[in-house]
Amino acid sequence: MAALGAGGAQPVTHWVVDGLETDLDHFHLGPVDLDLAPGSALAVLGPSGAGKTTLLRTLAGFLPVRRGAIRRDGVEISDWLPEERGLGYVPQGLGLFPHRTAEGNIRYPLELRDRPGADARVRELLDRFHLTSLARRYPSRLSGGEQQRVAIARALAADPELIVWDEPWQALDVQARYDLGLVFHELRETERVPVVVVTHDPGLAFSVADSFLVLRDGRVRGRYDAAALLSAPPDPFTARFVGFENVYDRATLEAPPRTPLRSWLLDRAGDDGVALSSPTFAAGEPSGPVWEGTVRSARPGPLGLTVDIHSDDLLVTLRVPPPWSPPVPSLGARVRFAIAEGSVHPLGTPPAGGARPP
Amino acid sequence: MGGIDPGRVGGTNAPAAPAGRRWRTGPYWLALQVVLSASLLLLFLLPIVALFTYAPVSRIFSELSNAQVREALWVTFLASGIAVLSAVVFGIPLGYVLARRRFPGRSVVESFIALPIVVPHLLVGLGLFFLVLPGTPLYRLTQSLGLPIYDTIWGVVLVMVFVSAPYTVLASELSFRAVDGRVIEASRSLGAGAATAFLTVTLPLAARGIVAGLLLTWARAVSEIGGLLILASFVIPGGVYSGPVSTTISVFIYSLFNQGDLQDAAAVSSLFLLFAFAIFLLVRLGERSGWLPWGRGELSP
Repeated sequence: MAALGAGGAQPVTHWVVDGLETDLDHFHLGPVDLDLAPGSALAVLGPSGAGKTTLLRTLAGFLPVRRGAIRRDGVEISDWLPEERGLGYVPQGLGLFPHRTAEGNIRYPLELRDRPGADARVRELLDRFHLTSLARRYPSRLSGGEQQRVAIARALAADPELIVWDEPWQALDVQARYDLGLVFHELRETERVPVVVVTHDPGLAFSVADSFLVLRDGRVRGRYDAAALLSAPPDPFTARFVGFENVYDRATLEAPPRTPLRSWLLDRAGDDGVALSSPTFAAGEPSGPVWEGTVRSARPGPLGLTVDIHSDDLLVTLRVPPPWSPPVPSLGARVRFAIAEGSVHPLGTPPAGGARPP
Repeated sequence: MGGIDPGRVGGTNAPAAPAGRRWRTGPYWLALQVVLSASLLLLFLLPIVALFTYAPVSRIFSELSNAQVREALWVTFLASGIAVLSAVVFGIPLGYVLARRRFPGRSVVESFIALPIVVPHLLVGLGLFFLVLPGTPLYRLTQSLGLPIYDTIWGVVLVMVFVSAPYTVLASELSFRAVDGRVIEASRSLGAGAATAFLTVTLPLAARGIVAGLLLTWARAVSEIGGLLILASFVIPGGVYSGPVSTTISVFIYSLFNQGDLQDAAAVSSLFLLFAFAIFLLVRLGERSGWLPWGRGELSP
């Protein structure tokens, strides 16, 4: 709180979302339950069209709540107008005012409130986000990272009690992502303002968020902490998001031809498919069955050797950590690989009793 | 710019694709472009030159001492000013409604707006004439309000609004639609009520396009003659006009031409064009210098 200085002593707020449902054209979202305690950070994940932005816009008051409730410290605010909610919504693309300078953007919420000390607050925010030398520039003359900092400074100038940010890391370079990650950490650590972010970037989602809401087709697939999300991703999208390289949805496995590898995977798949953590080249005595395939590509890299293998009409990616012992396989070579039982993760509801060997 | 697409940020006023990109072209292709473009530009320019050179330059300014000319100019600017004001008051809101609201019959409304642009203006005058014939409800209404239409300044304004307001409506609709809704949502979330967000964000961002539409509206209003010849070829004093019986500058020039007074027709036309150019120039310069609030942001260094 000390870092905020003048005007920043807002009370820390607890937000609860209860069975929230909304409709936008023909899209239905919900029910969604959330518990956003002070200092918490939630990442909303899901493929395009899952309802992530719809959820944020409903929280921010731009879409009507059809069912359920949004509560702020126990007070229901479902019917409140966006400007009454005390919620810092940063839309996709940031929504900076192109006709105002960086400073003018940050000053905007203070102008609306017309409180004393606005000048000091603007100066403090400019300084804190390293924008002082850029204060008089218009957004079109700022880099992506600088624009992000203006957006967060502007949101903080309104003393929000919840920050809701749609795709904060979109199109940012590595350094800007890192800087923004630090900003989020500071928000959580020093200001204790709860944060909800939508993101497609797993690296920053994991570094910032302490819980994850997975949406698909407007429905909640589940709410997880990082460990649960990594060990038991609920669906193919999440599995790819957290870094599984071999993800097969059920439709792919069920499509003809029914080959041995597909049947083997299908036996172990949940109702949404299956993910493999890391198949290995078959050497010595592998613990599971051994499969054969053709090398499609082999890419050495700092994390090891990555080999794509075409086997039984499926593409399987192997990762051999450095130093890898076999030579880089040539394209078209026939190779043997093994899939350990423990590396197979069913997605969605696991297969019915007994189908998966212990 | 850093690694972010400027088009995604801050809505419509962020710079679009690089406008200055040039490709190397062969000489014939280039020559074709130059010849075709220059032909049309010449066609635009030559009549103006002919107009300005027909009468001696001194005569252009001596027309200012002619009371009839001054009154016709005054009637024209007064009526067109009121027409532009009406476009601001009624046209911009209509453009906003069309841009932001969905309602049944919207496409019908949109084709109605284009109607005044496509209908020959003589017919517009005729239609308005029938509408305010003695005995009609509108005649009785305007008489009882003390706003007679036929051959008055109000008739001039009516014709001008009819033929010119669509340009403001269409320009406003396009400009409002081009404002990124996410920028407006950001302002709402920062604490601005709907009206405040409109005044501080939507309107400034749409202003440049709306002003362009207002300029077109004004230009269309002052150049109107077809409808005026029928509804208000004379302007009898009354309402906001208290001078002697006069007419608009377009009708005035037309009558000079009909009387065979070509020198005066050319001189008065040139004088009027100078006024029109001056107004266009002032607005453009105002935008360019950042003195007018729109245009800031993308133009500043």
